[in-house]
Amino acid sequence: MSSLCLNLSFGSYFAAMVLYTGGLFFAKKIFPAAARSFMILGILSLSYYIGMRWQIAARPPFSNMFESLILFSWAIAIASVFIDIKYKIKNIAALTALMSLLAIGYASLLDKDITPLLPALKSNWLTIHVLTCFLGYAALTAAFVSSAVLLCRKKEDEKLDIISYKMISFGFLFLTLGIVSGAVWANSAWGTYWSWDPKETWSLITWFVYAIYLHIRFRKGWKGKRAAWISVIGFLAMIFTYFGVNYLLSGLHSYAN
Amino acid sequence: MLIKKTRIWNFFSSIKLAIWLLAIIAVLSLLGTLIPQNQDAQLYIDRFGRSGYQAIEKTALNDVYASPLFIFLIILFAINLTVCLLNRISLKARMLGSLLSHVSILIILIGALAGMFFGHKGLIKIGEKEEVCCFTSKDKQRIEMEFSIRLDKFIYSEHIDPKEKLLIFSVKNDAIIAEIPTEIGVESDIALTGYKIKILRYLPDFVMDTSTKVAASRSAVPDNPAIEARLKDKAGQVSTFWVFARFPDMHQKMDPNFKFVYHWVGRRPKDFISKVTVLKGGKEVKVADIRVNEPLRFDGYTFFQSTYDPEALSWSGLQVVKDPGVPIVYAGFILLIIGLVVIFYVNPLIRRR
Repeated sequence: MSSLCLNLSFGSYFAAMVLYTGGLFFAKKIFPAAARSFMILGILSLSYYIGMRWQIAARPPFSNMFESLILFSWAIAIASVFIDIKYKIKNIAALTALMSLLAIGYASLLDKDITPLLPALKSNWLTIHVLTCFLGYAALTAAFVSSAVLLCRKKEDEKLDIISYKMISFGFLFLTLGIVSGAVWANSAWGTYWSWDPKETWSLITWFVYAIYLHIRFRKGWKGKRAAWISVIGFLAMIFTYFGVNYLLSGLHSYAN
Repeated sequence: MLIKKTRIWNFFSSIKLAIWLLAIIAVLSLLGTLIPQNQDAQLYIDRFGRSGYQAIEKTALNDVYASPLFIFLIILFAINLTVCLLNRISLKARMLGSLLSHVSILIILIGALAGMFFGHKGLIKIGEKEEVCCFTSKDKQRIEMEFSIRLDKFIYSEHIDPKEKLLIFSVKNDAIIAEIPTEIGVESDIALTGYKIKILRYLPDFVMDTSTKVAASRSAVPDNPAIEARLKDKAGQVSTFWVFARFPDMHQKMDPNFKFVYHWVGRRPKDFISKVTVLKGGKEVKVADIRVNEPLRFDGYTFFQSTYDPEALSWSGLQVVKDPGVPIVYAGFILLIIGLVVIFYVNPLIRRR
């Protein structure tokens, strides 16, 4: 039953991506409308999967790489539908759908076994910390897609710039919430709110890059392609915080592997 | 307002400086995650060579976050932030978010500073039945508490994987006749043979004292996992024996009808609990269980379950922290979040009206 949900989401995201791409070539309204329905179907079945896993495991399903990727995929899909409804840009919709597809595809290669929580993770902060981080990550991923598309264009595109900015402001707020909740949790579990652990440090580096983006935009008026470059750098830092630290550096977050 | 015209004021009030400082601090922090921090000289020499080690030591890259350069940059950053705030300060509603989010960073830094000057942090390694009243802090100071703490018992428990089983084969035809879960104390029937079996004990690293024949665990590390089982036959005759995961053919005398195989799967830690008593003036004033995520707070000190003796479980490592800066830092966190919400979601609403 549960792997069926996973496959259904994967299939829906794939269908959505194909339909959005189809919409780029055929100006029929049915393409984006059908694609959107598939995205929503994918989100619903993934929500059901997360809920089921939560119930079966009797704990929040946010404890390892597989579970976080599922949440990541779910959150990107929501960001994708939101952007699609609000701005209706087909290639952004297709590429964000591809991002959720990549996340769920990568997750499907990993071990799906439910393992009991390590003592360090048994806390209500787990849900808050992981949820805020991944909502932030998803928004920053959507910002990256929009910035990357902007950089590929010959001309500036104000709409894409606005999408990047909106997603970065949401992502920055949630990244802050994620870092703060992590600090409070670390203090209640280990007695130190900050210990320069690689994951913490990299999240701070990511936060700095987006802080630079916001300041250079507000105070120096950098917009469009110039700002988009910083958004891309920020995304790379975020991806390294998420994957690179787990696979290449060891530290307090090493149970996330 | 003369100061606002000086060159140094101009230097510190520039947004360019802020952006450069953020970028440089980010790059230094990055180096700190690539180069192992606070390790022995040998590790650096092995990894980066002798000249590499000398370069790292000279630039303090082996302790980046406490290096003079890093601290200098943080101080510059704090001054930059303060000057920018003073320069742009105004009590207009639209400035509220910006004001809050920037002041909050200064508050967090002040909180961190307060913790550095007025706080103590240290590790207590405490054995069972031992009583401790002082510790050595990380800055090598000896801290005497006005009370003492005694470890009554340290409990370490593990999750048994559902795949872990005691397999029972029939000697006659070598077929599996039962798979028994290895939970301690539960008696199970061996299929329809009329025999019953019960798991008595689990030892992660079995050793036997050859003179006394007493079995014990050498360490908590699962080098030789073994379980003790008790078999009861149809007539109620009882025999106990050990089964070893790593040595399937080695067991003591047991019923000739069966062969036992211990299918062991790696166990994961479930709980670390230090059962402690707080004593003040010789009197017991508090009894508590310290777990990961459930510290004990007493008299301004907080005790965290931090580490344990993985060999013999004979001691528990408690991190002791007294950090008066924490409430200040938390206040900074709250203001930062409020500030960001105002900037991104309240201001646009006001502007739209």
